[in-house]
Amino acid sequence: MAASDSATANTFTITRTFNAPRGVVWKAWTEREALEEWWGPKGCATEVEELDVSAGGIFHYSMGMPDGSKWWGIFHYEEIVKPVRIVFINSFSNESGDIIRAPFSGNWPKEIRNVVIFHEESGKTRLELRGQPINVSAEEQVMFESMFGSMSQGFGGTFDQLDSYLATQK
Amino acid sequence: MDRLSSTFSALADPTRRAILARLALGETSVNELAEPFDMSLPAVSKHLKVLEGAGLITRGRNAQWRPCKLEAAPLKEAAGWIDFYRKFWEASFDRLDAYLERLQSAAAAPDKPKSVKGKGRQNGRK
Repeated sequence: MAASDSATANTFTITRTFNAPRGVVWKAWTEREALEEWWGPKGCATEVEELDVSAGGIFHYSMGMPDGSKWWGIFHYEEIVKPVRIVFINSFSNESGDIIRAPFSGNWPKEIRNVVIFHEESGKTRLELRGQPINVSAEEQVMFESMFGSMSQGFGGTFDQLDSYLATQK
Repeated sequence: MDRLSSTFSALADPTRRAILARLALGETSVNELAEPFDMSLPAVSKHLKVLEGAGLITRGRNAQWRPCKLEAAPLKEAAGWIDFYRKFWEASFDRLDAYLERLQSAAAAPDKPKSVKGKGRQNGRK
C-alpha cells in the first residue's frame, strides 16, 4: 500500500449491462420491493427501513447476514435525474441512521459518493457506477492503522505489524 | 454462505479482529491466544473455527498445540476497500440481473401467447 497508489486507488468504477429497458432498471433502483430483492451480497436479507428517492432523501436499510448478525446502511441522495442519473453517498449506519464505520474494517471509507449513470442501449441498460470516498484524510486512505479499529482493547499498536506483515505477502 | 459474506461475518466481530491482529505477530497456540481475553478456551475455539471457515487462518497439524497462523490473502482483499466494494456491487448486480430476469419473464408469461421465445423460464420465486 504505497502512498503513490492513493490517487488512482481512490476511485472505484464498475460497469454492467442488464437485459432490461432503462425504465425497468430505474424502477429496480428506486422502489422498495425491488431494492429488497437485489441490494446486498448473496445470502443477505435486505430490509428497507426508509426510502425517499429524491435529492436530500435517504435509503436506510438493514442487511441480515447469514450468520445472524444485522448491519445497517444508508444512502443519502444528492441528485436524482430520472431515468439517467443517481448520485448518492453510501455509508454504514446504525439503526437510527447515524453514519458509522464499517463493522468489519476501520479501513473502509466512512462515506463513499457514488454516481450511477443509466445508459439505454437498444432495449438493454448499461449501468456505470463510479465511487469515491469523501471527507477522508490522505492517511486514512492508505494506512492500515485503523483496519482493526476496536483493536485498542489489548492489542494497540499491532496494526503496524499487521500492515508490514501483509506487505510482505504481496 | 459465499466468500464475501463469510469474510464479512468473520471480521464483524471485535474479538476475531483482535485474534487476527495477534496472529500478525506470528503463529501461536490457542492457550496463548485466549490469554488477553476474558474468555474460555471453547469460546476462543469457536471464534477460531469461524476464522478458519472464512479462510483467514489455518491450524497446524501438530497434535500437541495446533498453532494458528494468519492467512494473508483474504485479509488483504478485505483491507483494500475498492476490491471489497467491487465485490459488494458485483454480488448485488448479480442479484439485480436475476431479479430483472424474473421480472421480464413474469411480464412476458401471463397473457401474451406470442412471448414463447424458448426462454419461458417459469420462476415461481418472488
